[in-house]
Amino acid sequence: MTVSVSLNGAEQRRPSRFGRMLEDRLPYLIVAPAILILLLVGLFPLIYSLIVSFQRITMTENDTSFVGLLNYAELFRDTRLWASLGHTAIITAIALPLELLVGFLMAQLFIDGMPGRQIFVALLVLPTVISPIVAGATWRLMFDVRFGPIGQILSFFAGEPVRILWTVNPAYVYPAIIICEVWQWAPFMFLLLLAALSNVDQSQLEAAEIDGASYLRVLRAIVLPAIAPVIAVACLIRGLDLVRIFDIIWALTEGGPGSMTETVSLYTYVQGFSQFETSYTAAISFLVIALLTLITTLVLKRMELTR
Amino acid sequence: MADVKLSGVHKYYGNVHAVRGVDLSIADGEFAVLVGPSGCGKSTLLRTIAGLEDPDDGTITIGGAVVNDLRPRERNIAMVFQNYALYPYLTVNENIAFGLRARKTPEIEIRKRVGEAAEMLGIGNLLQRYPRQLSGGQRQRVAIGRAIVRKADLFLFDEPLSNLDAQLRDEMRSEIKRLHHEITTTMIYVTHDQVEAMTLADRIVLLRDGKIEQQGAPLELFEQPRTGFVAGFLGSPSINLIPATLKTSGTAAEAVFKSGGSLTLPPAKAALLSGAEERQVLVGIRPQHFSRAGGGGPLREGVVSYSATADLIQPTGTRTFTTIKIGGVDAVAELQAHDVTNHGERIELAIDLNRVVLIDPASGLVIA
Repeated sequence: MTVSVSLNGAEQRRPSRFGRMLEDRLPYLIVAPAILILLLVGLFPLIYSLIVSFQRITMTENDTSFVGLLNYAELFRDTRLWASLGHTAIITAIALPLELLVGFLMAQLFIDGMPGRQIFVALLVLPTVISPIVAGATWRLMFDVRFGPIGQILSFFAGEPVRILWTVNPAYVYPAIIICEVWQWAPFMFLLLLAALSNVDQSQLEAAEIDGASYLRVLRAIVLPAIAPVIAVACLIRGLDLVRIFDIIWALTEGGPGSMTETVSLYTYVQGFSQFETSYTAAISFLVIALLTLITTLVLKRMELTR
Repeated sequence: MADVKLSGVHKYYGNVHAVRGVDLSIADGEFAVLVGPSGCGKSTLLRTIAGLEDPDDGTITIGGAVVNDLRPRERNIAMVFQNYALYPYLTVNENIAFGLRARKTPEIEIRKRVGEAAEMLGIGNLLQRYPRQLSGGQRQRVAIGRAIVRKADLFLFDEPLSNLDAQLRDEMRSEIKRLHHEITTTMIYVTHDQVEAMTLADRIVLLRDGKIEQQGAPLELFEQPRTGFVAGFLGSPSINLIPATLKTSGTAAEAVFKSGGSLTLPPAKAALLSGAEERQVLVGIRPQHFSRAGGGGPLREGVVSYSATADLIQPTGTRTFTTIKIGGVDAVAELQAHDVTNHGERIELAIDLNRVVLIDPASGLVIA
């Protein structure tokens, strides 16, 4: 072993050509495995299912020949698919604003240092912590016509037995799903909005109070513009989740009665794993991906404009 | 226009007793400055007057009416905040008009008043901009504009200049003073900066630990401080406090330093001292009361000569601050620019003891 000691600094050992090259590329070498894994888990299935969507694989047939846009053309003739997209749109359009509103009201309630705030916040966030399938199953029990507390509470207030088949009666399935969904995810909005609201500059609110501005004026001129970016991101996250909603509905109604509450995720699942129309399912998935990409791009563009 | 009266105001934050029984009466049209070190309760007191904090005890009267139970918006006050608190998503115009719109003032009147205020503050060309497009000084002007259009009974300023650089601070200080001459509304101004307090105030209210230490006209506080704290807080550089033993006999009094040497006090001062023949004191000499002894002619009554070595020399251009030793402790003398140039130079100084302040070290009270 040789130890070179440089006495005056001028004698520093120059690295070999290979050593220099290694030094230059080292950062890339270090991140390479991570990139590789990401590509493998992220990109490979995506590309593979894209390929599958152009083939004709079903349970009985393993036909890997390419059929062009056949599956995609089929999408446009599939009324059940478009109905399921409609159901998804209805649930999203009602549940998202409701979650936002309930979350905002809860945050407003807590922003002014309510006593026992920490405990309440922790309790309120519980629904968001549990798995959606558990939430759905819990609410199925809550809605149960014989044993469910909802029916009993309603009966108590009505003064006569109220028997509502929440998960079967066509008039009540959507309310049931939306109640469960809002119950689970309004706390998520609440948390984000609470954080956003506590960042609103206190002295601006005080200045507005001294100026004599009404609550609505303060909300419109100061609070909402300040928390708008958070609202946008929260709505984007929840909106994307709502378009993919599955677990709650699966637990509550399984898409029923009939296919009345069948969302696009449920329909995709049924096509893929009951009907085993593998290639067609892949095509549906890509339709959903295209839709979500469109929505996300539009929202992000919109957010940039408001900045 | 309104006068302000506080009586027995207390404010607690949990266990912290921030304001401890303040009695204060500010006349209509007066410019009062609440000043004191950080944590003395001055901002809390101002926020209590504004109604942003509720006092735990005592009453607050604005224009003869008790306002304890009134919300800030009902007190007809205007306030300028330290961080300006402009509404970031409104233009300058909308910012200034915000309070008027909130109070349903007719649009024509709003336009007129905003125009007047903008002209008065020289921000007429900025009305369509947003606060983020303004410099610190411009933001400050907008904040003041927002306050003056309201034609409030009382103006409150919470350290409005502390976020500005030194030059801008001087400029805005004069503007605020000019503003007060023009609109003659009662103003209460909070600052920790004694220069701001001295230059702006009709009356300084010096707070310490939540209590009023002393109040009065700026020069009154400067020249006749009631306590050592007041003497030390006002004036820059601050007063030199030199521990000594005071020996009185008849009409003569002498301050003897532990490290040797002594200063003979002028008869006028000595006459104020009574009782104890010998006691411990802090001798307070302001840096301004030193001068270079010149010519060797006879000294004025009460002026003594003192020979010292210039230790640190800090020229400021107009004046030069020199650190010297008196009675074994460092003291700062403020001399003419060219009075002293070399470190370690031996200088002959004259000390004007007519305005010396003697402080009892135990109680902190000024005894003469």
